[in-house]
Amino acid sequence: MAESRASSEGIVRELPRLRQDFDAALAGVRDGAGLQELRTRFLGRKSGELTLLFGRLGGLKNEERRLAGAELNTLKQEVEARLEARRAELEAGDREERLRHDRVDVTLPGRVGPVGRRHPLTVVREELEDIFLSMGYEVYDSFPEVDDDFHCFEALNMPPDHPARDMQDTFYLEGGDRLLRTHTSTGQIRYMLSNPHPPRVRIICPGKVYRRDDDITHSPMFQQVEGLVVRAGITLADLKGTIEAFLHALFGPQYPIRFRSSFFPYTEPSVETDLGCIVCGGGGCRVCKQTGWLEILGSGMVHPAVFEAVNRKLGKVVYDPEEVTGFAFGLGIERVAMMRHGIDDIRLFYGSDLRFLEQFHR
Amino acid sequence: MKVPLSWLREFVEFPAEPRQLGEDLTFVGLALDGLEGRGADAVLDLDVTTNRVDCMNVYGVAREVSVLYDVPLRPLDLSFPEEGPPADQALDVTIEAPDLCPRFCARVLDVRLGPSPAWLRDRLEAVGVRPINNVVDLSNYVMMEMGHPSHAFDLARVPDGRLIVRWARPAERLTTLDGVERALAGRVGVVGGTEGPLALAGIMGGASSEVSDDTRAVALEAAWWDPLSIRRASKALGLHTEASHRFERGADPEAPPAATARVAHLLAKIGAGAARPGLIDRYPAPRPRRATGLRLSRVSAMLGAPVAEPQARQILTGLGFSVKEQAGSWAVEIPSWRSDVSREADLVEEVGRHLGVDRLPSTVPASRGAEGLRPRQSATRAVREALAGAGLTEVINYAFVSDADAGPQAPPRLRLANPLSEEQAALRSSLVMPGLLGTLRANLRHGRRDMRVFELGRVFGATPEGPAEESRVAVLLMGAAAPHWSSERRAADFYDAKGVVELLGRRLGVGALTFVAGGAPGFLHPGLHPDVTEAWELRDEAAVAELELDTLTAAARAPVRFRPLPRSPAVERDLSVIGNEGMTAAEVEARVRKAAGELLKDVSVLKRYARPPIPAGRVSLTFGLVYQDPGRTLTGEEVQASVDRVVAALRAAGLEIRGE
Repeated sequence: MAESRASSEGIVRELPRLRQDFDAALAGVRDGAGLQELRTRFLGRKSGELTLLFGRLGGLKNEERRLAGAELNTLKQEVEARLEARRAELEAGDREERLRHDRVDVTLPGRVGPVGRRHPLTVVREELEDIFLSMGYEVYDSFPEVDDDFHCFEALNMPPDHPARDMQDTFYLEGGDRLLRTHTSTGQIRYMLSNPHPPRVRIICPGKVYRRDDDITHSPMFQQVEGLVVRAGITLADLKGTIEAFLHALFGPQYPIRFRSSFFPYTEPSVETDLGCIVCGGGGCRVCKQTGWLEILGSGMVHPAVFEAVNRKLGKVVYDPEEVTGFAFGLGIERVAMMRHGIDDIRLFYGSDLRFLEQFHR
Repeated sequence: MKVPLSWLREFVEFPAEPRQLGEDLTFVGLALDGLEGRGADAVLDLDVTTNRVDCMNVYGVAREVSVLYDVPLRPLDLSFPEEGPPADQALDVTIEAPDLCPRFCARVLDVRLGPSPAWLRDRLEAVGVRPINNVVDLSNYVMMEMGHPSHAFDLARVPDGRLIVRWARPAERLTTLDGVERALAGRVGVVGGTEGPLALAGIMGGASSEVSDDTRAVALEAAWWDPLSIRRASKALGLHTEASHRFERGADPEAPPAATARVAHLLAKIGAGAARPGLIDRYPAPRPRRATGLRLSRVSAMLGAPVAEPQARQILTGLGFSVKEQAGSWAVEIPSWRSDVSREADLVEEVGRHLGVDRLPSTVPASRGAEGLRPRQSATRAVREALAGAGLTEVINYAFVSDADAGPQAPPRLRLANPLSEEQAALRSSLVMPGLLGTLRANLRHGRRDMRVFELGRVFGATPEGPAEESRVAVLLMGAAAPHWSSERRAADFYDAKGVVELLGRRLGVGALTFVAGGAPGFLHPGLHPDVTEAWELRDEAAVAELELDTLTAAARAPVRFRPLPRSPAVERDLSVIGNEGMTAAEVEARVRKAAGELLKDVSVLKRYARPPIPAGRVSLTFGLVYQDPGRTLTGEEVQASVDRVVAALRAAGLEIRGE
């Protein structure tokens, strides 16, 4: 048989047919698997049609082998190049196909994970803390909520039967003289009694307080921030400047602030601070009772009787009213949050109603 | 406190419009609460602080106005004609209890009873007092005008014309003017007659001697009562009146003669009667005027602004203080009506009030240094942020709880002596029980199915040393964390709650947490106890956790110590261990760590499987073992040797190994 007789001519003669077959097969390839099949058919390592021809080169003489080998290599390179080209073509087609089908409905909800938030009163309280921290105040918050008559009233110049105690209807504990603190002013006394660097004080005392009152403007539990600064030479002007700086930081400098005389048993002089109504801008509305002002903060110069009570408790004169003076202030955290968010019922803060709490995004 | 401007003008001329006047008074401590009417008919509503009893009347406000605008204050007209026999022939007064009543004044007035003239009735109505008859109206008018309460007894109904001031006797009863018969237990003061009590001292008159249409003569009383006695009696009787309000805050001990004179003056003025000659004045121990020193330097030092001497003097004298200048300091005599003033600081306030706090300069005291949150406080904030970041919403519940909600086997709680209701009668001893359960139930009622909430707050309990409190953090999870259309809904369980606790541990860097079964409070079993679920009408399982906040934050480590990054790769091997259902992950892990040697860097649970082909009653746990030496690459032999030791140890413990 002609094929059995090794000759370059025989091999070379088969090439056009091989090329024809390859062309026909390549035209029929539609996907990667078909392409792989085609590659195996022609270039497979054991029985690829081209591979078999290369195998037959061994039986040829040198010169013939060189000629036939060159022809074969040319064809092999051509086959490989065309296979590669087709592969790239198919892949591009595939991606286009994928892109045509791979669509997302961008309007379906994304996977968010659970969203939590801090309580609106926490947000306000920490904001107040941060403002005072920036002014060099220590945050003193570790004093007890269950306290006694001395720290809550007596040391604050409210002896037993003092009419001012009516302003703060007190919860008492059964069996004993303990009570729930009615104001964070207990923090003033507690701090001065355990002051690490007497007689200097520069603190704010945030915390929960309790009064027997329950309506839309009074909650039996609410939160206050008390402030106290004690040092030689502290003046009412210092109190004013501090409160102005604080209120400007909290609400912005666009609201006017006014100071007027008032009364608290533990300060003298006592001062009430009003902020220009942030609801109506000062023109008068229901929230500010047509006055244009919102009462925001009570304060005053520390009453010497407070220093004297602390000194008596300490058994020595640590806070000599002739040597040091101080100012104190206090405000309700709820009031700030209510003004800021336009909330008209204080009890919402403590109702744990998620429909309320989830309205706040921080 | 209502102040008709027409009334005010009887005593002081002021140059301001009503609203301006109200605003000016606001700055000196009499805050404008409202303004009714216009022009001459305007009525100011002033919020008088509880210490300023001297301003709870028109004349007191007029005094402030006179200082405010530096205009003269007209004195009250106390003149009146006297007619008839001396008063003391018809009336005798004895003070048996001088501790209750340091001063008692009385006049006898012959009266023609009838309605008051219109101007008087209008004024009373303008200040919120209901007109009754001319005698009673005049007593009330004078109280609203100059602040001192008085009371008129029908002289014909005062047995033997004798008034005796004393403490009530046991089992005595009195029907007061409001028609209520009262038992006078305890330390209640009375004005008695020879046949029993006629009036509650300083609080309210009695019905038996009430002025009526038949009244022809009255005994008009104006006394000065011990403030504390009136306060206690008023509280004990639950009876608070315009009179007791003023007496318990410290009325003017020098006012009684003037108050009776002013009534007599007005009585004559309206032509309704005349006073008999003589004032009965029982004042066994007259009180000297009080005085205190004032240093002008102190005023300036407290206010933070220099205060001019003439200005300070003008303010103080205008307010009724008399100022005697001495070297370095003034001796200031305090007017009898200023019971709220006793020491230098009070005088500083008086000067400051009228100088105007609002007009003082503003300064900010220098800071001694920077301040920051303490580590505990920063860690507490980190707890809140971690929990909010993990999708939990912060709630704040009342610290008051019902004692009935303590749950099974709960220790006793601190109880309030005067709670608002039985539902709020005790202080919580846990944040979860009943606080977060209440949150859960309330929100279930609003149709919520999925909830992730947390609370930080204090809980309370009794100790041998007395009440104690500690800070806690608690979480409650119910339903799905974040339901999504792409996945099956998975309800929260124990491992979600545990995961939150582990998250806190990691965020605070507290190191390894150990979890031990048991020791949970009675309401857990191991989730909520079925009794609790039933009692609280909860449909789904809820997972809860409650931690001591201070223990957690105290364990927080900061700052972190840096460890050099490993320079060689880690080798990972997996091991499936099959044992009985009681097998815990922790005990297997402990055996693995013990047997593996020091090349083992980490062990974690990859999977727990308890379904076929694992036989019933058995469970498979797959552990991932990570081997690493920071300095060099491990050889396969080294790792295999360790794994072989682990497998041998686990087999020796009766466990079955798959995989290796």
